[in-house]
Amino acid sequence: MAILWRRRNGEDAGGNTDGNTSGNNRSGGGHGWRAATVSLLTVAFLAACGGGDGGSGTNADNAQPVPGGRLKIAFWADFQGCIDPNQVYWIESRSIDRNFADSLTDQDPATGEIVPWLATSWTVSPDAREYTFTLRKGVTFSDGTPLDASAVKTAFDGVRDLGAKSTLGVTYLAGYESSTVVDPQTVKVNFKVPNAAFLQATSTTTLAVLSPATYKETAEARCAGKVIGSGQFVLDSYTAAKAARLSRRAGYAWPSALVKNKGDAYLDGIDVSYITEDSVRVGSLTTGTIDVAWPRLPITSADQEIIKAANGVIETRSLPGISAQIVPNVNRGGPLADLKVRQALYKAIDLKSYASTVYWDSYPVVKGPYDSTTPYAADLSAKLAHDPAGAAALLDSAGWAKGPDGYRYKDGRKLTLTYLITASTPGEQLLQDQLKKSGIDLQLKVVTSAQLTQLTTAGEFDLAGSYLTRGDPSVLGSTLDRAVTKNYATVYSQDDATAAEVSKLFARGLNTIDPAQRAAAYKDLQDYLIDHGVVFPTYDRVQVAGLSNKVHGFAWTSESFLRANDIWLSK
Amino acid sequence: MFRYLAGRLAQALLVLWAAYTVTFVILHVLPSDPVTLQLAAGGVDVSQLTPGQLHSMEARYGLDEPVLTQYFGRLWDALHLDFGMSLTQNVSVGTLVSDRLPSTIVLALVSVGLFLVFGVGLAYLASYVQWLPARVLLRRLPAVGISLPTFFVGLLLIQVFAFSLGWLPARGTEGWRSVVLPAVTLALPGSAMLAQVLIRSLGDTWQEPYIVTARAKGLSRWAVQLRHAFRNAALPALTLLGVLVGYTVTNAVVVETVFSRNGIGQLAQQAVLGQDVPVVQAVIVIAAAIFVAVNLVVDLLYSFLDPRVAHTARVT
Repeated sequence: MAILWRRRNGEDAGGNTDGNTSGNNRSGGGHGWRAATVSLLTVAFLAACGGGDGGSGTNADNAQPVPGGRLKIAFWADFQGCIDPNQVYWIESRSIDRNFADSLTDQDPATGEIVPWLATSWTVSPDAREYTFTLRKGVTFSDGTPLDASAVKTAFDGVRDLGAKSTLGVTYLAGYESSTVVDPQTVKVNFKVPNAAFLQATSTTTLAVLSPATYKETAEARCAGKVIGSGQFVLDSYTAAKAARLSRRAGYAWPSALVKNKGDAYLDGIDVSYITEDSVRVGSLTTGTIDVAWPRLPITSADQEIIKAANGVIETRSLPGISAQIVPNVNRGGPLADLKVRQALYKAIDLKSYASTVYWDSYPVVKGPYDSTTPYAADLSAKLAHDPAGAAALLDSAGWAKGPDGYRYKDGRKLTLTYLITASTPGEQLLQDQLKKSGIDLQLKVVTSAQLTQLTTAGEFDLAGSYLTRGDPSVLGSTLDRAVTKNYATVYSQDDATAAEVSKLFARGLNTIDPAQRAAAYKDLQDYLIDHGVVFPTYDRVQVAGLSNKVHGFAWTSESFLRANDIWLSK
Repeated sequence: MFRYLAGRLAQALLVLWAAYTVTFVILHVLPSDPVTLQLAAGGVDVSQLTPGQLHSMEARYGLDEPVLTQYFGRLWDALHLDFGMSLTQNVSVGTLVSDRLPSTIVLALVSVGLFLVFGVGLAYLASYVQWLPARVLLRRLPAVGISLPTFFVGLLLIQVFAFSLGWLPARGTEGWRSVVLPAVTLALPGSAMLAQVLIRSLGDTWQEPYIVTARAKGLSRWAVQLRHAFRNAALPALTLLGVLVGYTVTNAVVVETVFSRNGIGQLAQQAVLGQDVPVVQAVIVIAAAIFVAVNLVVDLLYSFLDPRVAHTARVT
């Protein structure tokens, strides 16, 4: 029986994730949202109880958890079709992964602080090249294998061996040299070059430690579900873009320090499905077919009203990492080669009305190249402020004079910028409208994703979106640091001199583990990026989840993924 | 008859081969860099790869071979129903298709049944009823059915029958109840078209001299319509039915997306968006095969209903 059970898990465990962010969360806009949600929950609870019935009555989650039930959650899509935490970047899959794969450390969503999980303690050498972890005793994978130092070594070596197949792992393990088993409970990770972001990386799903048996499978088989973790749930099955089923693991006793429930999960399991249509997803939530609606784009304010009217709850949290942003092409000889034009662009864009028009009134306004929940995210609102008069002055001094049709011209050439997009959304149309007011003609060029790959690689654009994301501020290096990547955003957003400086600033952030020095390095980096017009943030990427009133104990991870350890369902 | 059948079969195979080849050309020859596209589709950050790694990846997907070698190799595999590995979902295309095909076939069969019930039923009534206002109303109905967009009808049905009344599930593939709403959505435009054609040809048939003869013999309107008019009027509608059955596969893209059904249509949509070339290729061949098979059956039925067809074929 036991053998059968193990086999099943061995074959089916795995997941498919598809996400594009990870990150650290730290204060910022996130707090207000959390507070609002908590008070909403409180109101709902008080209303339900008719006021004060046992418990403190200050928070619905103080009620006694009831074990049992399966949590039904619906995401919007699964394009990457992979569940292996080590490989996947698709955020929805990473939310699933978080619940069956554990990591060495965890990150506090409220403070960004790294806290113990599978590792009880660790030391980092001052040059950020040696990390020594002491592992928790008695941890096993769901196939029965003990989680010891050699398992951790197998896992990290395994992620390194994935190479480019692990889009995020490549940067998380940048400079990885080797792992050394000191004794069964102690593992030392060595880097050729400093990697101060590695400690945070050990808290992510990407560096989740999977059973040694997993690394004997091919990368494709792992993506398709042959992955075994040590989590509170076990992945029973995963069918790309269709469904995933997780079930409670009996005898779980090693949650992260952030989890209240120290033992087995309350839920019997989790059923994941994918619903493409927003209205169907929301309707399924309000009619009780699903318990959690978790789309990629923020749930519209109209849909939020519908969910609340059905006594549901809205949870929001900014996705840590890179904010939604546009990169310019400065190497094409176009208008954006001129720094003054790029600076004018910042002033021409009204980020406040972007947030309130495209989303809703209290939607957080983006403050810089990072979302507000990213550690070391700086508030650069002043540099990004809407200032049409300033934009006009800059464009005038750059030689772009206003023509009779309201657009600006220089040497008979119209100030036209081509913006490559794959779908025309209200956001881009609003930008077009805003820039028109400053005399800039923004041409929205809608192309297929295949064309997008071609055109961006060839540099045939003035502006293009950039969306790769990750948990530590070093994530931005994945798209903007030429020392890390050669993708279009890096190649075209900076001239050679700027690129050298940007690389230097990214390296500075990784060279030290001292938080004050890292903060200073990333502050300088963010200032530099905006001062030199390397990125144009457009909005804070907020993850919104709709919950039915049956769901209690909901929690975000620091990467704004689902953490189901404390979730229970009322009858 | 045998020669007719053999000729039609050869034609069918030719169409299948052409569908495969055209897809191959479009997917492999037009984009400037299929390697990058395909690697990107699999979630690989191509800019991170060294030229050596890139080459080994190309070799793994067989993309380093000359296009013609790739074409014949894959055609040979496809003849053995082996379409290779999906680039985005990490399983073989065969597994994906055999996982997704049954729900689409069920959906298609049910909606073809509904085509016949709605389409023929409406046409029959519209031609039989003699009270003018009802006749006009029934004859205008198909136009309404055709003008309603499928996704709109689907969402409307979900709102009413799933969310408001709670009678039927809004999504999924479990149980017969989950087929009802998608099948009705899928059947609506098709049956409207079928009804339109059938009403028209029934109308024409009613003018034929043999109908007058039949009426003169003292047969009732009902008997004449059933025995004499309908069989003759059915021929154009039968042709249309063949085309419509093929359309259920393509229309399934919308319906399966709206109803979150994991079928071939949804797979096609995901594969196209994800540039999953082997899957796209397989789906197109399947759709072409269904088209061809249904039309073959229709042609054979044709010669059964109207023996002149097979005879003419032999002459030419």
